[in-house]
Amino acid sequence: MTHAKRIDREAGRAYWMMILPAFLIYLAVMAFPIVLSFILSISNYSGGKMFGENAEKWNLVGFAQYLRVVKDPWFWNALKNNLYIVGVSVFGQLPLGFVFAYIIYRRLVKAPGFWQGVLYVPNIISIIVVGLLWQSIFSPNGPIAQVVNDLARGEFQGKLAAIMDGVGHLDLSDGALSRILDLGGQAARDMFTDPIPELRDLLSSYGAEEGAMVVNDLTNLLVNRWTPEFLNVQEVAMLPILFVILWMYTGMYLILFLANMQKIDVQIIESARIDGANEMQVMRHIIIPALTGTIVNSAILAISGSLSSFALIFALTGGGPGRITEILSIYMYKSAMSGSRDYPLANAIALIMVVISILLIVLTKAIEKRWGGKEE
Amino acid sequence: MKTEANGRIRARGLLGSALAKAAAYLVMGTFTVMTLYPLFWLTMNSFKTTREFQVNMLGLPMDPTLENFKMAWKFGEFGKLFPNSFIYTIGATAGVIALSVLAGFAFAKIPRRVTKWIYGSFVVGILLTINTLMIPLFIEVTILGIYNTRLAVLLVYVGAGLPIGIYLSTEYIRGIPTALVESARIDGAGYLTIFRRIILPMATPVATTLAILQICSTWNEFALINILVSKTELKSLPLGIFKFSSSLSTDYGKQFAALVIGMAPMLLFYVAFRKQITRGVAAGAVKG
Repeated sequence: MTHAKRIDREAGRAYWMMILPAFLIYLAVMAFPIVLSFILSISNYSGGKMFGENAEKWNLVGFAQYLRVVKDPWFWNALKNNLYIVGVSVFGQLPLGFVFAYIIYRRLVKAPGFWQGVLYVPNIISIIVVGLLWQSIFSPNGPIAQVVNDLARGEFQGKLAAIMDGVGHLDLSDGALSRILDLGGQAARDMFTDPIPELRDLLSSYGAEEGAMVVNDLTNLLVNRWTPEFLNVQEVAMLPILFVILWMYTGMYLILFLANMQKIDVQIIESARIDGANEMQVMRHIIIPALTGTIVNSAILAISGSLSSFALIFALTGGGPGRITEILSIYMYKSAMSGSRDYPLANAIALIMVVISILLIVLTKAIEKRWGGKEE
Repeated sequence: MKTEANGRIRARGLLGSALAKAAAYLVMGTFTVMTLYPLFWLTMNSFKTTREFQVNMLGLPMDPTLENFKMAWKFGEFGKLFPNSFIYTIGATAGVIALSVLAGFAFAKIPRRVTKWIYGSFVVGILLTINTLMIPLFIEVTILGIYNTRLAVLLVYVGAGLPIGIYLSTEYIRGIPTALVESARIDGAGYLTIFRRIILPMATPVATTLAILQICSTWNEFALINILVSKTELKSLPLGIFKFSSSLSTDYGKQFAALVIGMAPMLLFYVAFRKQITRGVAAGAVKG
């Protein structure tokens, strides 16, 4: 009996020695901040020294911060943006990832490893690199704008040459000049106080053999340059962000779906095909049912991914223009780290996000019971 | 009759599959180009001067130069960033693996009634994304006086990696036959000895998965280190690269070179360990 007790004590000691380091760090990094954020969210602590000499005087003042958050339209804006991100995951990345995985799994394309490998690449790159890369692609003077402007320029030159009756002949009549100005639209006329005579003066300074130069200079002068503000228009600034998210993470869902498709017994599919089932029937009656757990799992991942995302939008727009592309994490970060250093408000937001996460966990448990959580 | 029917099915199948294959190649090809072209475009433009970039955004560099890389390396202080990123990544990875396998063994093979609760608390943490706690973490670190220290960064990274690490290790070690542990117990071996002699050698696969997951997430991590550290001496690669966004937004050449420097290590890592990474991601994407 004493022997058994001694062994049990040894087991207990070993047990705690093995789990305590992990558990203490986990408590310090995950559990304590939750408690701290709750305390600070109902306090008026404003970031001074907390303990010891010259510590800031602070006390608990109640739940006013939560009311402030709920009344703040920017909170709802940020929450809406988080939901957009969930939406693009569930209705964009998930189906696309599924289709890609299906194509690879059913060997509709050769070299399955190649496609899978390539489509996952954006996941592996630092989010900050991805954010800054797309920021320059979407820039008003970036490559998208340049492609469109080059096309517009070519078209303008063609029309101009047609009006000028082939390069070289300068027709300085009112009618021709007016048609030239029409090409540039109202913006072209606005450049002059008295457009037609001034343009005639300008063009008569060129020699007769300088036709090509005239076309070139006139194009530079009159063509309307397009400087798209993809990331700077309030109404649509979320769209490029959602596109980049789609670009970046679709490969992850591809890998998830493919890994779980590969667990399906090939013989089931083969015998179904021999029995005359077509590709759609195989998909509907074998593959999709086998992946229900994975699909639910992916949707949950999408929600928790949306809550944890921060760096991409931080790098792409910083929440701007104004505050229109803020998500909850950036809304929280800015409340605490910029301007007024509003710690109580930021901690209230943190706690709201934790509560959403906990609801998500509860939901997961419920779904697991419903579908049996058979996937890994 | 029979052969005719068979032939018809095969023909229809052939036609259908040829069409399906063409469509499949079209879809995969489009998305592959969309995935790779921006990265190719970035790399190509990092060899152009800013002046050339402004007039020639889409073509190959006419006069390739390495000047951008030299300038970016100096301005971004990459000589400091790289060692830091290595320290954080190696430290956090080693910490997560060691603590997870150790605790995983205890949870899986030493029967205790508290396991249900403690292990359960780790599993809940998988969905409790730590980024939501960045502000309280910042305040906690300030109170403890470890703001702007490597220790704080490592502690936070290890703590954030533990839930998935412990979940995967525990589930893996549960799969090791308990009889192995019990017979060693009967021979009088202590749990620590059993861990060292039996479990550790068998835990290589799960340790590899954890290493892959942790290396990928730590090397690229931005949100947390952004609030834990402000000194250049302590910054990691993503923090350093972020410096190129605002102050240099018009100096494209230098910015692109910095981005290429930033993505190159992970791309090489990916090329070298693609299979393991893919497997690790599939294993790591579990819910709580």
